Amino acid sequence: MVLKKGRFIIEDLENVQINIGEVAYSGAELEAQGPTSKPRIPDLRDWDKRLLNRYEPVYSPVCDMCCNCTYGKCDLTGNKEGACGIDMETHQARESLTKTLMGTAAHTAHGRHLLNNLIERFGADYPIEVGFSNLKAPVTQTIMGIAPETIGDFRPVLDYIEEEITQLLATTHTGQEGDANDFESKALHAGMLDLLGMEVADIIQISCLGMPKAIEDTPLVEIGMGSIDNTKPVLLCIGHNVAAVTYIMDYIEEHELSDKIEVAGLCCTAHDMVRYNTNAKIVGSMSKELKYIRSGIPDVIVVDEQCVRADILKEASKLHIPVITTNDKILYGLKNRSNDEIDDIIKDLVSGDEPGALVFNYEKVGELVPKLVMEMAPIRKAEGITALPNDEEFKELVSSCSMCGNCVIGCPQGLPIDEAMKAAAEGDISKFEHLHDLCIGCGRCDYECPKGIPVLNVIEKASQRVIREEKGKVRVGRGQISDPEIREEGRNLVLGTTPGVIAMVGCPNYPNGSRDVYEIAEEMLRRSYIVITSGCTAMDIGMFKDDEGKTLYERFAGRFIKGNLLNTGGCVSNAHIAATTIKVASIFAGRNINGNWEEIADYVLNRIGAVGLAWGAYSQKALSIGTGCNRLGIPVVVGPHGPKYRRAYVGKPYDSEKWNVMDGRDGSVINIEPAPEHLWISAETKAEVMPLLAKLCFRPSDNSLGRMIKLTHYIELNEKYLGTLPDDWHIYVRSEADLPLAKKEALLKKLEEEHGWKIDWDKKKILEGPFRVADVSFQPTNVPRLCKGASE
Amino acid sequence: MAAVDTTKNAIPFDRGNIPGPKMARPTKADVAGKLISKAKRPLLIVGTAAGEEGLIEIVKIMTEKGIPVAATGSSMENLAKEGIEATYVNLHALVSYLKDTNWKGFDGNGGYDTAIFLGHTYYHASQLMSTLKNFTNINVISIDRYYHPNAKQSFGNLKREDHVKALQEVVAQIL
Repeated sequence: MVLKKGRFIIEDLENVQINIGEVAYSGAELEAQGPTSKPRIPDLRDWDKRLLNRYEPVYSPVCDMCCNCTYGKCDLTGNKEGACGIDMETHQARESLTKTLMGTAAHTAHGRHLLNNLIERFGADYPIEVGFSNLKAPVTQTIMGIAPETIGDFRPVLDYIEEEITQLLATTHTGQEGDANDFESKALHAGMLDLLGMEVADIIQISCLGMPKAIEDTPLVEIGMGSIDNTKPVLLCIGHNVAAVTYIMDYIEEHELSDKIEVAGLCCTAHDMVRYNTNAKIVGSMSKELKYIRSGIPDVIVVDEQCVRADILKEASKLHIPVITTNDKILYGLKNRSNDEIDDIIKDLVSGDEPGALVFNYEKVGELVPKLVMEMAPIRKAEGITALPNDEEFKELVSSCSMCGNCVIGCPQGLPIDEAMKAAAEGDISKFEHLHDLCIGCGRCDYECPKGIPVLNVIEKASQRVIREEKGKVRVGRGQISDPEIREEGRNLVLGTTPGVIAMVGCPNYPNGSRDVYEIAEEMLRRSYIVITSGCTAMDIGMFKDDEGKTLYERFAGRFIKGNLLNTGGCVSNAHIAATTIKVASIFAGRNINGNWEEIADYVLNRIGAVGLAWGAYSQKALSIGTGCNRLGIPVVVGPHGPKYRRAYVGKPYDSEKWNVMDGRDGSVINIEPAPEHLWISAETKAEVMPLLAKLCFRPSDNSLGRMIKLTHYIELNEKYLGTLPDDWHIYVRSEADLPLAKKEALLKKLEEEHGWKIDWDKKKILEGPFRVADVSFQPTNVPRLCKGASE
Repeated sequence: MAAVDTTKNAIPFDRGNIPGPKMARPTKADVAGKLISKAKRPLLIVGTAAGEEGLIEIVKIMTEKGIPVAATGSSMENLAKEGIEATYVNLHALVSYLKDTNWKGFDGNGGYDTAIFLGHTYYHASQLMSTLKNFTNINVISIDRYYHPNAKQSFGNLKREDHVKALQEVVAQIL
């Protein structure tokens, strides 16, 4: 029996009651505990130092000043110290921690809000159910050393994270930490906590809300601005936390309104809406928020939290679209109408007396919103309210452009808007249609135009044809990877015969439009990498089709095996992607994961060829997710906007001392090839990133077949996209068996002629060279205590 | 032919990209050329756009004048097609190496005293120049089409055709 918080009345004893306010322990007791259950800030510092020694932080300051206290502003240019004594490097490390904490706090607060709501609805004893898995909460088990059984068991998990966040945030105050690497260790701690907070949030909603439980063939749902039926009343939900929206969808279902109201979602709330009820549709990623609102199609907007534009209320109220806010993260200055009558709220919103309402009572939200949509739609549709210009206005606007170029300088992507204006004035709108996908929909251009041209509206007006055609398919988020799938595929991953896992995650701040992520995913899938995706990237991957009209989700199955495409769900489901590596360590390798982060991360770093790609990462959450993955030994690549995160972890392949590991069998030191070469790095283009992803899947544990497969892809991707053989291919060769079969002889010749290796040409064997001999029993580790015979 | 004034429009190409009190000196093309010519260990760092027509000819001339080329992004393919000798390197990795005083350079003869940027995605290069600006003594010269505040010397924002003319002035000064 697991003791729970509650009230007990002892029979036969009158007026005696025992109240249990807190229990000392929640979750199943686990016998084997590693050294770091509930690690505090310093507890994993040694592991962090090992990582930071090999992957040195590289800082790229966005701002050369520190403006944190009244001593300043301090100019830290050139690594000078400010008035408090902090230098630029340390300040940047602090910035990295602060931004990581923002992401961690956002996910954890999401988890806390959801947990409170679900406990209220289902009770703390509601069991966790995630699918065919005994290992239900891998991240929780690795960090906390407990195996939660009920949703209430997650309360102490969130308590722990919240305390750590407070302690970490305190260190960013002036006059606290003064060492850059210790700030980085703290950032890695914050990132790890983020994985934990996300896991809590997604497991509880999977368990309670009937979302898919590690199912490989979840349904396909429609996505795209063109997929929304705007002849019906349209409800648009924006954000990440689906709690309130589920009440709305339940009301619509119970009152048989599903055919009468179009329920659409934007950003990760949309993922979770379709996990909850496939009648909903996905408009798209965050970059569509402003574009879709300005189209005037939504009749009511409901927002919850995270990645919701700050100007939604302002934009919506111009178009008489009422906004309902449902979460204390976003209040927008609205009146709290939680205790008001529904009819009164509707009256004020329909009349326009109020632009929106704050409603925390979700039962009320559930009833209010469908009724409001039904009332608003006829009014708005009759008036044809939209922010977009009509044809005549469009011509006038583009003709009034003076080609000053201010919009180009204002655009974060530097898009050639001026050239599109000129072409449109001459009757050619194709340049605008091209810009539509490249445009991230931020609206900064609007503020730059001295002629007052609403630039974004002009782009969208010109792109109506392509918008109508924006229809794709996304496979509904599946949640975790199941234990049986890990059993089937774990060996291939560790030996390298599945070339790697590419986790394509994050936001839509792409350098060259959303088509890039589709093309990257397609290339890696065709090469038998496992592609796992989530969030906005998962949406954008589904927006494009091949010649037969099929999306990648229709072409590639969703099981965790080579050449499959998996969508885990919204942002918080990223925890499951990281957790997959923990599952491999536990299920395939039999490692004890309980309170044992360092050993598991060491295993992941050295043996599991997984790499994250956040090609359009913009948010602090993307930073915290990536940083958490880094602490778990998973490298992360970001797009060209990525250096704005200020910090990367870059390896130096030329510094051989950085690439020493121990052989766990006897503690001997082995100099390995740089694998994985980097822990956090950016790339400029799609063509550059694909070979980089292939390279970052190398691991010292690869067997010869695995290394041959990985090297084949690395070389082929280089030749295909960069036009040459990579300069460093030879350093990944440990024997002739590592060489790609089709190129074996040519590469042996190069090894001999260009690198001075000795080859036995009769046997086509490498006789001599500066290589490490491949050994299938090699047990690479960076942790001395994990070596056989090492004293504790 | 009148020289292009490369010091005009010296505002960050991304308007909000104001790093602090120390911003690049707007530099004339001939001055940039002379600075490059005087450098003891220059490195031309080219981005993906350097493979485009108009710029690639400039890269070729600079290599012929003995300046080694680091091909970042996906510039390598076009450079290789033109027979330009270059070393592919990831730009983020490269700034990390440049920051390391123990790095021996691509030729094993030591680090570089001057980094010349051409053909990059603006915001990517700008951020990575800030690493060089704040943590190295390397002289960063941007001869790209945009004003780069994190360089030490930079052109202002230029039209495409003026940029090519300015680059021709630059290479004319390199002995």
